[in-house]
Amino acid sequence: MINREYKKAYLELSNGIKLEGIAIGSKVSVSGELVFNTGMLGYSEAMTDPSYLGQILVFSFCIIGNYGIPIPKDGNFFMSKGHESSSIKTQGIIVSDIFDGCYHHDGGISLEKWMKKQSVPGIAGIDTRYLVQLIREKKDLFGKIIYDDYLIQDKTRFEFLKNFKDNDYIEPSKYNLMPSISTKEKILLGNVGFKKKVAIVDCGAKWNIIRMLIERNCQVELLPWNTDFTKIKCDGWIISNGPGDPRNTGDLVNRIKNDILCFDKPVLGICLGHQLLALASGFNTKRLDHGHRSHNQPVFSLPEKKAYMSSQNHRYAVEKRSIKNDWNLWFENANDKSVEGLKHKTKPFMSVQFHPEASSGPNDTAWIMDKFVKLL
Amino acid sequence: MPILDFLLPKNGKKQKVILLGSGALSIGQAGEFDYSGSQAVKALEEENIEVIIINPNIASVQTNIGNNRKVYLYPITPFWVEKIIKIEKPIAIISSFGGQTSLNCVIKLEKNGLLKKHNVKVLGTQVDSLEISEDRKLFAKKMKLINAPIAKSHAVSNVEKALETADKIGYPVITRSAFALGGLGSGLANTPIELRKLTQAALLSSPQILIEKSLHGWKEIEYEVMRDGKGNTITICNMENFDPMGIHTGDSIVIAPCQTINNVENNMLRDMAIKISQSMNIVGECNVQYALNPKDYEFYIIEINARLSRSSALASKATGYPIAYIAAKIVIGFNLLELKNPITGTTSAFYEPSLDYVTLKFPRWDLNKFIGVSKNLGTQMKSVGEVMAIGRNFCEVLQKAIRMVNENEDGITVNIFKNTSDEELEKELLLPTNLRIFAIYEVFKRGKNIEYVYEKTRIDYWFLSHILYIANLEKKLKKNLQGILNKCEYKCKQISVQTIYNKIPKKFLQELKARGFSDFQLTKIYLSVYLKNNIKLSIKEIRELSFGIRNLRKEYNILPVVKQIDTTSSEYPTKSNYLYLTYDGIHNDIIIKKNKDSIITLGSGSYRIGSSLEFDWCSVMTSGYFKNKKNDSVIINCNPETVSTDYNASDRLYFEELSFERVLDIIDIETPKGIIACMGGQNPNNLIQPLSEVNVNILGHSCESVANAEDREKFSAMLDKLKIDQPEWTSATSIKDVKKFIEKTGFPVLIRPSFVLSGTLMNIANDQESLNYYLSLTKDVSIDFPIVISKFILDAKEIECDGVAKNGEVIISLVSEHIENAGVHSGDATMVFPAQKIYTHTVNVIKDIVRKIIKELNLNGPFNIQFIAKDNDIKVIECNARASRSFPFISKISGINLAELSCKVMNAEKVKKILLDESEILFVGVKASMFSFQRLDGADPIVGVEMSSTGEVGCLGFKFNHAMLLAMEATHIIKPTKGILLSTGREKEKVKFMEVINNIYKFNIPIYATKGTAEYLKAKGYKVNVVHWNRYPRAIDVIVNGNVDFVININKNLSVNELYNNSKIRKLAVKCGCSVLTNLEKVIAYLKAYDSYEELKNIKKCISL
Repeated sequence: MINREYKKAYLELSNGIKLEGIAIGSKVSVSGELVFNTGMLGYSEAMTDPSYLGQILVFSFCIIGNYGIPIPKDGNFFMSKGHESSSIKTQGIIVSDIFDGCYHHDGGISLEKWMKKQSVPGIAGIDTRYLVQLIREKKDLFGKIIYDDYLIQDKTRFEFLKNFKDNDYIEPSKYNLMPSISTKEKILLGNVGFKKKVAIVDCGAKWNIIRMLIERNCQVELLPWNTDFTKIKCDGWIISNGPGDPRNTGDLVNRIKNDILCFDKPVLGICLGHQLLALASGFNTKRLDHGHRSHNQPVFSLPEKKAYMSSQNHRYAVEKRSIKNDWNLWFENANDKSVEGLKHKTKPFMSVQFHPEASSGPNDTAWIMDKFVKLL
Repeated sequence: MPILDFLLPKNGKKQKVILLGSGALSIGQAGEFDYSGSQAVKALEEENIEVIIINPNIASVQTNIGNNRKVYLYPITPFWVEKIIKIEKPIAIISSFGGQTSLNCVIKLEKNGLLKKHNVKVLGTQVDSLEISEDRKLFAKKMKLINAPIAKSHAVSNVEKALETADKIGYPVITRSAFALGGLGSGLANTPIELRKLTQAALLSSPQILIEKSLHGWKEIEYEVMRDGKGNTITICNMENFDPMGIHTGDSIVIAPCQTINNVENNMLRDMAIKISQSMNIVGECNVQYALNPKDYEFYIIEINARLSRSSALASKATGYPIAYIAAKIVIGFNLLELKNPITGTTSAFYEPSLDYVTLKFPRWDLNKFIGVSKNLGTQMKSVGEVMAIGRNFCEVLQKAIRMVNENEDGITVNIFKNTSDEELEKELLLPTNLRIFAIYEVFKRGKNIEYVYEKTRIDYWFLSHILYIANLEKKLKKNLQGILNKCEYKCKQISVQTIYNKIPKKFLQELKARGFSDFQLTKIYLSVYLKNNIKLSIKEIRELSFGIRNLRKEYNILPVVKQIDTTSSEYPTKSNYLYLTYDGIHNDIIIKKNKDSIITLGSGSYRIGSSLEFDWCSVMTSGYFKNKKNDSVIINCNPETVSTDYNASDRLYFEELSFERVLDIIDIETPKGIIACMGGQNPNNLIQPLSEVNVNILGHSCESVANAEDREKFSAMLDKLKIDQPEWTSATSIKDVKKFIEKTGFPVLIRPSFVLSGTLMNIANDQESLNYYLSLTKDVSIDFPIVISKFILDAKEIECDGVAKNGEVIISLVSEHIENAGVHSGDATMVFPAQKIYTHTVNVIKDIVRKIIKELNLNGPFNIQFIAKDNDIKVIECNARASRSFPFISKISGINLAELSCKVMNAEKVKKILLDESEILFVGVKASMFSFQRLDGADPIVGVEMSSTGEVGCLGFKFNHAMLLAMEATHIIKPTKGILLSTGREKEKVKFMEVINNIYKFNIPIYATKGTAEYLKAKGYKVNVVHWNRYPRAIDVIVNGNVDFVININKNLSVNELYNNSKIRKLAVKCGCSVLTNLEKVIAYLKAYDSYEELKNIKKCISL
């Protein structure tokens, strides 16, 4: 529902299909890996989620933008829910219907205006259900949002984009995305008076991980991915979520193995962090036929024999049969039985493929943060 | 084994479990419980449990016979349930699938220690939790314990305390009563005077009421929660009311999933719903209702339902997740991880559905059917049914839903308020009625902005923006059309709709279709521009014109696409056969193979007065029949409260409009062998004519047969030709015609205007004064607006014949009688089968007439013919060439499934004539109507020629008296224990009433009577207390003070004044929870039945199907 005159835009797919829609957001052309999310709410959280770096996000829900984008009255984006990083991380978005107003009490700006401000394009009026099926059927699908037949891509937003030519389909997992997404310098957050300090290896950490730690009275030090971990003083480690192939992260796996895991401080891996931890422990990861990207992934806790609803956003997973003796399978997916969590038998190491920090999605596994903080 | 130990077969014998239904349909408790009960029965039977169903609702699917079940058509009361417990010796009972009725019954059984006594366990959520959910005080305490915010609520038991409390918390306040279904006795009070009135009434039906701060204008949001015995918990769906707090959810437009809340709010409320379900130890399903402040994150819990509800049925249809089926598996011991999501077949049932479409529920009100009822909506539910539209954007679902709920409207552009003043419109926004949505649209059309409407209605900006968007689309279209017309020369003004729309940009037409405009609607909009709002064309003519747009669309390839509802938003491939159509998409999810075997059954649409569960039963039977025959059985229906829209009721379900356009779209997609339109009641039946005109293959009766039966003139001429008697009638096109007819026949006459401004459609005029009054309600009588006027025959019996015909031959015909004399709508009447009071000779004459009519009409399928008989004269009133309301009743009692038999005929199978002698049937069945007057403020609880009942029951007895008493009890006519108030009509009725006067005194309770009746009784030597209209002791006082709990109030005649006088007593009696009877024949039959009361009470054997 767009209350103005609008222009055409095309979505050109790597399988040869071309779909026509309405240009929304910034008037630029981009390319990226096509992924979908079936969560019905939480578009601002998703779009700012660093794990979507290099991807064009298709919202399967048919109306997006209903409650606008929250702009905190005090300007503190970090502490206001709705934003998971300081900017939009997706290359672009594809929606069926878009609501171009903003009337929610917590909304400050419409979705479209926000996209324009951040130079992010999108297409509305696409049969997104059909597109989701195309993505599901084709293991790897890439696409271009083409505005006004203008083929020159906007590649200014992130470092790794420079590796691609204008008529390339951007395949983010081909490159190490850490330099593009990780913080450039160490950032200390939270109250100095807090007794415990958690170091987060920032592979594209969602802000809600940090918020939850602060809520639990922890100081947080956000570290660039290439920090010398041996120099860091902390009570525990979180290896964060992030984009891309876990094996395509330079020397990060090795440094986690040597500089973090050989000490016995509590470690929590989340999503990409979980995969990195697994690789560092000598297990394998694989690319799933299609990723889990939704708010309704059922994960089953083996020790508790209880299931939780979880929020997920990943394409890679730990290979179950590669898990070795000193680790236990902690969670598995109730649908496809894939690995959803690992726990070390003796050491305070654990990791989950899903997002205990949710945002967006259900908070049912927030207790994992409590569990981690207790270990500190 | 996932299943609870004690439910496993013992010594090779299956365990028995009692499942309580919800009884007769009433406002607030309707067909949704047939859906939930039917799924539960299926889930239990699969696990080798024998299900004992107790439910007097004979038209329900769950009371069908089956291999693994026994059906008892008895009132759902502790007395009868205990009796059946003694007979069946079940191991357990399930309370949560039969609404408030079954929940209350189980709570009572437990409290009386009867479950313990008979060693019957309660499955699912335990009674202590159920009580907490039902008792506001306990609930408040529990919520406080877990820090769940609830609006400050104060229990009071008298009016003074209520006023005191309201002063403390500040007006406006709302009141609600504990242990009530659908918000009975609740209301909003802005002033102490209003509060006094409200509490007085509420305290009469409930010992305790609650006073709360009013959250008027807040968002109203619901969550459906599923929790298993292990504590695994999910929320299936959330839903948001379009109408903010202040209008009962049952009367609100509801959208699922929520549209105006953000992720934080969603998870805040979801977390709380899970927390509550855990604290209450829910096992199975529950729903939590919230009020959410639209200005910040503040919220309150309104209530929870620890059972399946109307909302859970809606959520189930909105998501595709079979909530009742899974809940039933949980209550017998499964956990969610042991169950698969039946829609995908591969994923876990521990799964929260993701939707990639929106659904919108729209209520159906039939307020015109009730005399005197207020049309304003508030905290008491008034709607009698609902529809659900599915689509890919809000405009689309809103317009679809409006068409679904009232087949004569064409979308939001219907122009109801065209001639209403701005002031009146503003009033409509402030004090909403069932038509508010149209007022909003009209206001936007007149140029008002969103702020204006928001200020008046508090409806969220998001919703209003969309309505404004549609208004702007219409404006743009009109401008476009005007532009095209302006360019036309005079001669080209004859051009077709197709030619005109051809000049509209294709993209724009696509946009209009995607936003829910129907072809019919677009045609009407064009005509309104072309003819300057002076449309005089008939619906048929407009429909024919609209075919031009259809043709143009096909040329343009603007066609709707088929989408699946799969619970996963396509994340996983599924074979889901739950489908909808949308123009907001380009790709069909499924390709239907050109299949010569598919049969489409048209369902009944929204429940309404006159079309209810019985037609869903017929549709389910039909669809099931063809499914078993290995045809591709397809259903089209849009009513979420039905079994026919269940995921396994057909091979393919199109949850869609039952409109000419949409049915044709589906026919284009399916290319079926045939369409069945005669099993879903009048609504699909109306499509036979237009569909036949475009050469759709309608199975069963030919279009011509249907037309000959329905067209009064033709039918009447046919009867004359066959020398079959009929009441005299005429179609009057002027007042002179009316006068002439009355000169000939005299009063009383039955009048049926073709256009009515307000009030009801049909009336009986007893004298000139009444006639003048009724005529004043209609438009001027003219050629365009004729009225049908017929002789009304007093003291005549009404008889019905249901049956099935094949090629003009009767296969079976079964005769039943009404207890009430002619003048009571057949849908309100009490029906007896087999007939007890008509001679065999009469039956034979009737069957002979039936044969003649069937032959002459050449019927080929189900039929129902209605007669009146006085002395030995038998006259035909009408013939319905379709399945009738009484089909399930007659089928279940005779043992001959008329619906299945009809299917055989329509499928051109060989069928033999069935010669069943009604006298061989061992039982007597009584079908009685359920009225919902208690919910309809201001409605006069009188029965007449216009139908007003909302549901029915059918009970069985070895004797008529038994069945009669049971049926009355099941429709809440309860044996009096306090006192009886009599008012027995004219001399003639008074004399007749003496037949049963001794039974009245046998109750041994005080008898009150209005003056005339009291004098009459005193003269006969009976002791009676006189009450008066205006003098003390007053009639109204004995009602209000609770001296009586049973009111017999028979009209002297049907004149306007008489109705008005007595209506005060009747209305008050209903409001105060008295049993009220107003029909003499019914009263006599009921009181006579008490001769067998003790015998029935002590009966050892209950009849099961």
